[in-house]
Amino acid sequence: MSNRSRVLHLLSALVLGLVTLAGPASAQVTLVYSDWQLAENVWNRSLREAFAEFEKANPDIKIKYEPVALGQRDTRYSTALRAGKGPDVFALDANPIKQYIKEGWVMDLTPFIAKEGGQQYLADWYPSLLGPVTEGGKVYGLPKNVSPIMLTYNKELLTAAGIAAPPKTWAEFREAAKKMTKATKDGGPVDQWGTLLVLAPAGFDLRFSVVLRGFGGDFLSPDNTKSLLDSPEAKAAFNYVIEMIQNDRSLPPGVSQIDAQGGRTLVANRKVAMAFEGLFTVPIIADINPQLDAWKVLEMAPVPQNPGSEKQIRSTYYMKSIFMNSKSEHPEQAWKLIKFMMEKKQMEKWFVDNNLLSGRKSVNDTFKPILENKFTNAARPEIERAAFLPQIPKWPEIMETVRQALQAAIAKSKTPEQALADAHKAVEAILARP
Amino acid sequence: MSDRANGDHKVNWTEREDVKGVLFVLPALLLLIAVLGFPAVGAVLQSFNLLWTDKPSFTFAAYRQLVDDPAFARAAWNTLLFVIATVSFHLLIGLLVAMLLNLEVRLKWLFRVIALLPWTVPDVFAGLVWRFMVDPLAGFINSVLITFAGQTEPVDWLGTSTLAFGCLILAEGWRAYPFIMLILLAGLQAIPPQQYEAAQLDGATAWQSFRFVTLPNLKTMFVIAAVLDTIWECRLFGMVFSLTGGGPGDATQVLSLLTYRQNFEFFNPAYSAAIAVALAAAMLALSVPYLRLTMKQTV
Repeated sequence: MSNRSRVLHLLSALVLGLVTLAGPASAQVTLVYSDWQLAENVWNRSLREAFAEFEKANPDIKIKYEPVALGQRDTRYSTALRAGKGPDVFALDANPIKQYIKEGWVMDLTPFIAKEGGQQYLADWYPSLLGPVTEGGKVYGLPKNVSPIMLTYNKELLTAAGIAAPPKTWAEFREAAKKMTKATKDGGPVDQWGTLLVLAPAGFDLRFSVVLRGFGGDFLSPDNTKSLLDSPEAKAAFNYVIEMIQNDRSLPPGVSQIDAQGGRTLVANRKVAMAFEGLFTVPIIADINPQLDAWKVLEMAPVPQNPGSEKQIRSTYYMKSIFMNSKSEHPEQAWKLIKFMMEKKQMEKWFVDNNLLSGRKSVNDTFKPILENKFTNAARPEIERAAFLPQIPKWPEIMETVRQALQAAIAKSKTPEQALADAHKAVEAILARP
Repeated sequence: MSDRANGDHKVNWTEREDVKGVLFVLPALLLLIAVLGFPAVGAVLQSFNLLWTDKPSFTFAAYRQLVDDPAFARAAWNTLLFVIATVSFHLLIGLLVAMLLNLEVRLKWLFRVIALLPWTVPDVFAGLVWRFMVDPLAGFINSVLITFAGQTEPVDWLGTSTLAFGCLILAEGWRAYPFIMLILLAGLQAIPPQQYEAAQLDGATAWQSFRFVTLPNLKTMFVIAAVLDTIWECRLFGMVFSLTGGGPGDATQVLSLLTYRQNFEFFNPAYSAAIAVALAAAMLALSVPYLRLTMKQTV
């Protein structure tokens, strides 16, 4: 062999070697994960820690984070998904799920679940939570966390106002709110309010619904074909909120513009004594104002109800589920990530970090910190007293119609009766559309 | 004898003036078709449920909904009121500032820069800044009213329909008046000084000079500014979205916001496209006076 041939052979071997070495790196798959909780301090920290563990266990998969603000989530996803793009794996709350399924934006996970044992794998999930993610017998997502909305209150402020126990009825709630609305400095302006209700789009659904349901009313009939906004219960709930804002002034001024995070900030800064929140709120409030000592000062109780209606539904589920993009180029890897997020260990971590109950019964029933937590002990019985908001594609439009009607009545541009009657008529028209 | 000498020389098509003209404008025309034409056609097709839908089928349903939907009627009315108020505000303030900036004063360049500043602020950001300013709990305006004006409790500026509408007009009036001001300033600078001198010789007062010299000379500029600003304000989205979000209720919900909501929040792309097409048709009609004026000047 000539020197020239030797050099050529050596070079070929070198190139082959490099190609072989480069092989595993080029086979690495990047999954895009998007979640509105990546845009929130506490949740973001927890998610990134979990994903670091996933990447360590799966060196062939890298996760690219795509945070999105809750208010912008559907705008961003719908634009991307319509164009056949978007994140590989993403999180949704219960509201838009049916629309995403209808549009074909989320992957049918049934074949993946079948490989894990099918019904046996799903048996650990609460059947009620699987309802929203299931359509025509196909499972399109897996519920990760759940929380009923609870009356969340600052025990110190209640005690200071001479209120021994959280209000159980709406009459008690109204009186307590009035009592705790005051100026904390002599001669100063009112700077503490009894309660608040989120009336901005982000968070309205979960909060107003518990007042409506607490009064025995609801938005739609059980089969989601008729508006129930003309019921006496709906009228009572509507008037109750308006009177508290206009007459009692026990909600902060500018309440129409307060969103969920704004509300939590007011609670964190002792400006508001009672609010309707989910279990997730405690670590967030603790993060906003560590000096409050939220874990100690805050307490949770069931949503008030009128006497005689204690057996009815009175709360609303918050639920976060994980979905796969139907156009994902890496479905196997995406499923691997979803499965990882659903592991018991990850559910437990999520509870420790974020105080949220799992979608899996076994986690909630056996994990010691959950069993010993004062918030979950108050919330667990309420899972049976809560319901999802209507699971139909038209729900976001219906919800916005109700929100606008309530705001119009609060702004006095319509009487409460007129605003509710208009909302009822508009919802009927929305439901009648094909 | 050559053809040229005979006078029946056939001009090569590439040398023809009209062809040259077309070739010159072709790149811009293709760009316009790509950037504006395709989306416009797409929107029309979408409004008939022919595009971006899982089951395409030709239907007028979205246009029928336009007629029946009280939310559309309310948003159209809000848009009309908002545009009339904002454009009037812009014309008034724009003229006033343009006349001040047309005066011969020291540091005129600095005043011009200051007057232009609001125009440089993105509308979404301007809306957020105004929102913080009028916030009932932490807002600067309520602090001033409570501290210095004897107000006992904060005013809920964005929680009352008329006040929210007023805030929106004021905020957008402030942000976008420099556009009108610049057009009118250009018009003012084009007025020959001899006309003012002649008026002065005739004994005209300052008001008479303004009434009979300035205003007639600015007429064309007024129309151009008003039409362009009307089209701009009809499409305004960012300011409304970030300042009031259309509220309270639907008191400040304009057509552009309703279009956005129907598409991105309610997932009704066909209806959203129908609203956009209706708005575009209205704006096309509005642009007729502008086109007539500008074409008359260039011919």
